[in-house]
Amino acid sequence: MREDNNVAWFCTYTPLEILDAAGLTPERRFGDPASLESADIFLHPAICPYVRACLAVAIAENGPHHAVFVNSCDGMRRLYDAWRDRFRDDFVYLVDLPRNTGSGSEELLACEYRNLVRELAGAWGREVTAHDLVEAAREREERRLAYVSAAEGVYGEARLRLAMASHTLPLHATLPAAAGGGGERGVPVLLTGNLLNPAGLVRSLDRAGARVAWIDLCNGDRAFSSSTLPRGDDLDGILASLAHSYLDRHPCARMSEADRRQDLLVESVEAVGAKGVIYASLKFCDSYLYDFPRIQKRLQREGIPLLRLESDYADGHVGQLLTRVEAFLEML
Amino acid sequence: MGLVEDVRDLFIDRLTPSTVHSKVFWKAAESLARSPLNRPQWKADRVSLAYFLKSSRDAYLGRGPVVWCNLLVPCELVIGLGCTPFYPEMAAAVVASAGLAPRFIDRATEVGFSQDACSYHRCMLGCAVDGFMPRPDLLLAVNYPCDSAPLSFAYASDIYGSPEMVIDIPLPGRDGERSLLAAQLEEAAEVMAVLSGYSGSRTMKGLAEAIDLSNQALTHLREVEEIRKRDDCTLDGKDAMGGISVLAGSMGSRAGRDYYRLLAEELRQRGCAGGDAIRLMWMHLKPWYSQGLFDTIERHGARLVCEEYTHSCWEPMDPRDPFTSLAAKIGGHFLVGPVERRASYLASLAEEYRIDGAIHFNHWGCRQSCGGAMLVKRALQEKGIPTLILDGDCVDEREYQEGQISTRLEAFLESLH
Repeated sequence: MREDNNVAWFCTYTPLEILDAAGLTPERRFGDPASLESADIFLHPAICPYVRACLAVAIAENGPHHAVFVNSCDGMRRLYDAWRDRFRDDFVYLVDLPRNTGSGSEELLACEYRNLVRELAGAWGREVTAHDLVEAAREREERRLAYVSAAEGVYGEARLRLAMASHTLPLHATLPAAAGGGGERGVPVLLTGNLLNPAGLVRSLDRAGARVAWIDLCNGDRAFSSSTLPRGDDLDGILASLAHSYLDRHPCARMSEADRRQDLLVESVEAVGAKGVIYASLKFCDSYLYDFPRIQKRLQREGIPLLRLESDYADGHVGQLLTRVEAFLEML
Repeated sequence: MGLVEDVRDLFIDRLTPSTVHSKVFWKAAESLARSPLNRPQWKADRVSLAYFLKSSRDAYLGRGPVVWCNLLVPCELVIGLGCTPFYPEMAAAVVASAGLAPRFIDRATEVGFSQDACSYHRCMLGCAVDGFMPRPDLLLAVNYPCDSAPLSFAYASDIYGSPEMVIDIPLPGRDGERSLLAAQLEEAAEVMAVLSGYSGSRTMKGLAEAIDLSNQALTHLREVEEIRKRDDCTLDGKDAMGGISVLAGSMGSRAGRDYYRLLAEELRQRGCAGGDAIRLMWMHLKPWYSQGLFDTIERHGARLVCEEYTHSCWEPMDPRDPFTSLAAKIGGHFLVGPVERRASYLASLAEEYRIDGAIHFNHWGCRQSCGGAMLVKRALQEKGIPTLILDGDCVDEREYQEGQISTRLEAFLESLH
């Protein structure tokens, strides 16, 4: 049986409650944006830079490299492939994720969760019970609420760093104090996209005078915007409820719920009083490359100004973006 | 200027949406296909051309319900339900072959699609934006082989106001994978039955007929494969690669069965060319607008004897149990799930076809194939098969650096001698 309890995770559709309940310590990885080229021997350069940055760090680190992936996109699947190939002695598992919602998809996902429980028991020898799972879910909910509370009045880079700390710190650790953050007195905007480097593009938004009041990113507010607290009495029932909760979250662009995603985006713009939307995404992420033109149309209809930016995760080019951001904010 | 350029300048460049939606256009195209001017290399090609012209005509003229499908949608399901399947990814290849892709790719860029996205899908979307695609009554996408189809179909769904259905193929080997997939296929069938007005019994009869025809086609396809394995077969991979459209879009039709039957017959009649050519395997797809790479291959005494996407990779199906059978067919496809399944499949193909060397064409923007290329290369190299990875673009000729690619290809081919 395995003894090291640390398990890496990457996608916010990872059912952390199950990993917690199995006595593991899930830790989100963000990789090193500065060294992603070292992953090129395994992954093509036209693959998501976040994926390559995570692999680059893992290659350089000593193991074990236990990891749970979600089959959410081609990038994640390719990261799983490379990780599994590279770290053959470690626990490397891929959890499936349907694109659809509804009862059939919930059944598929619940089935995946049961498989994960079984695989974890096989690897670590720990059976997840209904009680363990309920307790773990309660603690995850506490963490979520702690983030929501701590993020009050925190903007931009500081807010994003707080969200990322909430993903990486062990469940019982206290979240670091975060103060106002850059751009507190700036122009209120909403940032949407996939996943960004806080020290790159997001910092430049602060500097340009934006007050990023809501961060609809995979490493930002999105994962904390709804509860995944499950219901049910027995393990199967709780897993089914958890599957429902995960599919009911604020959706990533890869889900077949574009209308709901757009509605939530527009609602968030109104809720935080944003004067415009900045759509910024990592290169080579198909989910967001195909999503942008639809979001663009919808925001045009709503009369909400929109600026599109692109990130290579290292963001060495952000200086060039500053003028565009400043012009956008001025226009607002 | 060559004939192709003349025809393009005179006719194709001047195509308008109303032209491709007119009866006259399709009548002319069908007449041309039947005329002595069209001299296909294989008799079977005449069958497939007639089939695709007819189904495209029906789709463009709105003769019956039209269902857009991506590569892994089993067309037995669509044909069996009395709908016309239309594969926009294949249409993009045709547009690229005609040299028209840049115009539509640029159109997609104008409406906000990034140049980092797959050019098959950008081309297809540009065509849709400009009104050059047939209006779908339903857009049906499965979640493999790539993310692009469900996502680009969603945009097209907005253009036409037609519903999109995405089928989630579960990961292979997981509990309940077949039943969960079969249930989704049945749900898609119910939607198509409403479109075509099929009753429950007619649905099952239609599916049984389509699956029976698909099984017959599979038998002939396997004959073709056996002939191609034996020796230096006269069917070259660069021509066989176009068979991806037959495999994806006509299984379940009479034409699909007749295509493979005729091809097997003709291959037997023509016999084997013999010789000691270097045997190559091609992975992913080719640049549709240029034959340059294949001329280089031929000049070096090499032949493509095997391609990734044109082989059978499923077992005969049970016509009485269509949804479970179709779930087994697509759920077991080598492109579903982790890349190790693809790598293992390609290593087996390489062994069966006695491959001397393999070429992986990295189509720009294709995360599923480029992303797995290094692992595939290693799997083949472990079998002792030298493998070359070439970066390029199957659809956008402006992204194709022929000189650079040819130099690398030539060096590779020379190393195989």
